[in-house]
Amino acid sequence: MTAYDVMPDIELYQPATVEDATELAARLKGSAWLLAGGQDTYGWLKDRAKTVEAMIDLKGIDALKGIRETPGGVEIGALTTLTEVTQHPLIGERYPLLREAAAVVASPQIRNMGTLGGNLCQDTRCWYYRRGLSCYRAGGNTCYADSPAGMNREHALFGASRCVAVSPSDTAIALSALEATMIATSRRGSREIPADDFFVGPDVDIVNMTALAADEVLASVRLPDRWANAEFHFEKVADRNVWDFALVSIAAALRMRDGHIENARFACGGVACVPYRLPAVERAVVGKPRSESTGEQAAHLASRGAAPLNHNQFKVPLMENLVRRALRG
Amino acid sequence: MEIVRYREDVWGREVLLGVSWDFLWLVIAATFIVIMVHAAIMLARKSGPRPSADGERLSRHAAQDRWFHWITAAAFFVLLATGVLPIVGVKFPWLTAHWVAGIVLTAAIVFHIVRSLFWKDLAAIWIKPSDLAELTGGSAAPLPGKYSLAQKGMHLAMAVLVLVAVGTGIAMLVQIDTPWWARSNFLSEAALGWMFLLHGLSTLALIGFAALHLYFTARPEKQFYLRAMVKGWVSRSELAAHHDPARWTPDAAASGDAAAQAVPGLGADAR
Repeated sequence: MTAYDVMPDIELYQPATVEDATELAARLKGSAWLLAGGQDTYGWLKDRAKTVEAMIDLKGIDALKGIRETPGGVEIGALTTLTEVTQHPLIGERYPLLREAAAVVASPQIRNMGTLGGNLCQDTRCWYYRRGLSCYRAGGNTCYADSPAGMNREHALFGASRCVAVSPSDTAIALSALEATMIATSRRGSREIPADDFFVGPDVDIVNMTALAADEVLASVRLPDRWANAEFHFEKVADRNVWDFALVSIAAALRMRDGHIENARFACGGVACVPYRLPAVERAVVGKPRSESTGEQAAHLASRGAAPLNHNQFKVPLMENLVRRALRG
Repeated sequence: MEIVRYREDVWGREVLLGVSWDFLWLVIAATFIVIMVHAAIMLARKSGPRPSADGERLSRHAAQDRWFHWITAAAFFVLLATGVLPIVGVKFPWLTAHWVAGIVLTAAIVFHIVRSLFWKDLAAIWIKPSDLAELTGGSAAPLPGKYSLAQKGMHLAMAVLVLVAVGTGIAMLVQIDTPWWARSNFLSEAALGWMFLLHGLSTLALIGFAALHLYFTARPEKQFYLRAMVKGWVSRSELAAHHDPARWTPDAAASGDAAAQAVPGLGADAR
């Protein structure tokens, strides 16, 4: 595949308001690309692996930026950079889980440019797909990764329906564990989408990774009070500690009472096309202390139902170990 | 309007993906127009008195055949809903329901083929040259045997289309994971493209034929056929009005449905 390293000829729109952006998104849907920080965008377009006629640059919309306290928690504009997320005191004090997740995204330079919304909406890193092959996710009829000769070390253990690609977002699992809500806005109005419904697997939509419609813009993310100042654990295992995507990662939020777990939410990254919740683990740990033995008891529940591919069996014990470590405290 | 969807791969080759779904709207529009035109013509024609459903009951469809028909219909509509709704933008986990319904349809068709070959009169549904007189005879056209030329034509068209859809569907089913096997890669990308194209084309045609089938089923003068597919019988008057008793002599089902079902082994005339 030729890498041109220059942008193709694209009509550029730079709206200054959300209304203008949603108007453009409605008018150009299907042919336009919504641009946030551009860290996932430019590779696609320069490689000509995806082609679009127009680009709607959202970076000039101030209303989509910033972190603010709301009556029910904290709201983060989708155009807030990952660096701002890591440095903001509200996030650090109440939701350090998200701070840790944002802090391990790629590299400092990318976090300075990349946005929370972009990190959530980025496309999968399956190289067959990104190389421009006509796989299921690209609208084709086959999956190259899930084939006898397919290289699938980084691919899914769960929820693979024809396509075995995984979500590459580090912040997605943190937001899933924090029970966040995404606010999608369009000319038709705004709607709240729970994090668990925002990300969609290939069984529902094999060509899109989020529930956003073609005319919708991700406006903000709301973090509810119910998980503020809980106990958290975030861990990402990758081939490199910097500028790499997770092989497996975990985000855990634990609400404690009298030394015992009252409520818990676990989400794993790198094992499914969506942040993979661990409801069996969540149920098993309620009422137990955060300890080595609780981790031992719950770890095997995490990988129940896993369907490893030829080269990613290592993710099963890795995932179980991450659950152990999350519960170790 | 494109007929076929292609995609250019990284080597600049055109990869066949399948039928263009723009055709879906064309099929819906064309079917709607055909139905409207037929309905207008029938409205303009004076319809005579309908034959009575009372009196002697004659067996038209054996219970096994009625079960086959309704199981096939249910599987067909599940396949249609799970196959077409995602294309028009209704997102849901459709794949498992689709292939499970496909297996039910395949099993039903295998049953029907075996039964038709060994236990039924296959010639009764087969189009013969003499049937063409129904088209060319005008008001003097002969009455049909068990099935009219239109019914035979509908059956033949749907049989061919369903067999294409099932055959290509099985080839596609082997390409996905199921509880019984892991996906295979025995088909090349180009062959898969043909499978998807034929599957899509047959589906589109089936949508049109199914809509026509439903329309004719719902027409007042044809509703006794629907009753026959539910209860199994037609009346002696209906037989006389719509069929040539010399070409189709069904068994009597004097006490209704129960009697019709009780016909042991189906007599040759009831086939």
